[in-house]
Amino acid sequence: MNQTVAAPLVELRGVSRQFPTDGRARVHAVVNVSLQIGRGETLAVVGESGCGKSTLANLIIRLHEPDEGTVLLNGTDISHLGPKAMRPHRRTMQVVFQDPFASLDPRVRVGAAVAEPLKVHGTKRGEELDEQVAELFELVGLQRIMMKNFPHQFSGGQRQRICIARALALRPELVIADEAVSALDVSVQAQVMNLMLDLQNELGLSYLFISHDLAVVERIAHRVAVMYLGQIVEIGSREQVFSDPRHSYTAKLIDAVPIADPRQRTERPLLTGEIPSPVWPAGEGPEPVELIEVEPGHLVAKE
Amino acid sequence: MALLSVTDLTVTFDEFTAIDSVGFEIQPGETLGVVGESGSGKSVTALSIMRLVELGSRAKVTRGRIDFEMPDGSVIDLLTQPERSMQDIRGKHVSMIFQEPLTSLNPVFPVGEQIAEALRVHEGLDKKAAHARAREMFDLVRIPEADKRFGQYPHEMSGGMRQRVMIAIALSCGPRLLIADEPTTALDVTIQAQTLGLIKQLQVETGTAVMLITHDMGVVAEVADRVVVMNRARVVEQGTVDEIFHNPQDPYTQALLSAVPRLGSMAGRVGPEPFHLAGSLR
Repeated sequence: MNQTVAAPLVELRGVSRQFPTDGRARVHAVVNVSLQIGRGETLAVVGESGCGKSTLANLIIRLHEPDEGTVLLNGTDISHLGPKAMRPHRRTMQVVFQDPFASLDPRVRVGAAVAEPLKVHGTKRGEELDEQVAELFELVGLQRIMMKNFPHQFSGGQRQRICIARALALRPELVIADEAVSALDVSVQAQVMNLMLDLQNELGLSYLFISHDLAVVERIAHRVAVMYLGQIVEIGSREQVFSDPRHSYTAKLIDAVPIADPRQRTERPLLTGEIPSPVWPAGEGPEPVELIEVEPGHLVAKE
Repeated sequence: MALLSVTDLTVTFDEFTAIDSVGFEIQPGETLGVVGESGSGKSVTALSIMRLVELGSRAKVTRGRIDFEMPDGSVIDLLTQPERSMQDIRGKHVSMIFQEPLTSLNPVFPVGEQIAEALRVHEGLDKKAAHARAREMFDLVRIPEADKRFGQYPHEMSGGMRQRVMIAIALSCGPRLLIADEPTTALDVTIQAQTLGLIKQLQVETGTAVMLITHDMGVVAEVADRVVVMNRARVVEQGTVDEIFHNPQDPYTQALLSAVPRLGSMAGRVGPEPFHLAGSLR
């Protein structure tokens, strides 16, 4: 037991995943990624559309199987487990997606939606089940009488709270938030982020927080990984990455964030560059980057 | 003299009041930021100026005026213009770009052709002259490899390039006012920075006034001269960008600003920290 307690909650070792596209070309979505997520820790993954953030999340929760590399959960190799063997591990990891409208069945009462994972994993039933769902509603700041309502009766922020309640139903250790606050208005976004921080303190959750919004990430993350074309180009503590970005792409991302203070306006040169394609002809692929540790815990790709 | 002056504008959808007694001005060449959350009435305000709000919907403009200064110096109330005149004004004197450029472009025509169309319709240019001018617009909005891109279809372009095409169409006839409704919301942050920089640069080059609608306070802080804050169908506060960000008077503006994540605000802090929300958001 001691050994598993010492292990990080999640560890990826050299994980890669490709997808076929038209003809024989392949999308190199995730390339040789290694990282760890500690207990009670938030690791944010940032990068632009198509950089492989969501594929990375799908590899961790094993919606995708890695082509290469190893995915460890609590020290157990889950890289190639079949559906049945994977099942007990699924309750350890839950996901909250970007669009709470698309994540809830419009014809299912929200109480039943939150109860569903509990039924599937067969832990409780009857009044006991209802009581647990009610507690989950209260945990995320909703009233228990709302359980009877349908998704359309809720605002976007309330719906995201319902999705969080459903994700927490099985007492997971890891919650993956894939752009979970991106579609929300700024005031609601702040409230949902405060809720996530409260829940982390209360329940000791780990978060994999996927976002394109660096200002949001700076608030919520303990550690940050910057992805570019399927690879991690920089990873470190929030302070290391934001205050001392060493990779040119990290610096470019940070520079591009609009600053909500008119007194800090700067003249920026007109940039025109676009990100190259992650699609490669058969037999070819990206040059794997080499990560150098520039200070303890702060790794940067050689340029 | 204001370029655009909106007074007491009220629009209803049956029983529901979408905007209520909205008033503000836009000066020639300035950038007015209109901020507020979903449903606050930002887009209905923009569509009213374009006189598009009543088209095919139950919306009714029940009160108000929208005075616009034409290039010859005459001032007209856009709300009283017949549809025929509005067709001349839209795209020529007041033009608009939207959040999602893919749905704004016609998928079956090359993008260059779509810029030329606006020039043929509004400027009466023949095919050849319209194409030549459209090609110049490509350079104006800094589309790289312009000759190759000119004949491409929208699906062959990235989101950022499509939005540049939209901007080229919108500016092709030299409008006095460009209404941009969440123009960078669907774009990645680096592409957003490029697009905002481009809009700013073009404003200097062409003297066009911009009404920038956004929910992103960072974007407003970066580009607006003055700001209108909307909440629940009403303008709750307006002022210079500095006044709004550094001395907000309305409780809603204060609450909104307390929820904005500000890059750099966490420097030197150890762990994550919650937002300290003001007023009604607590």
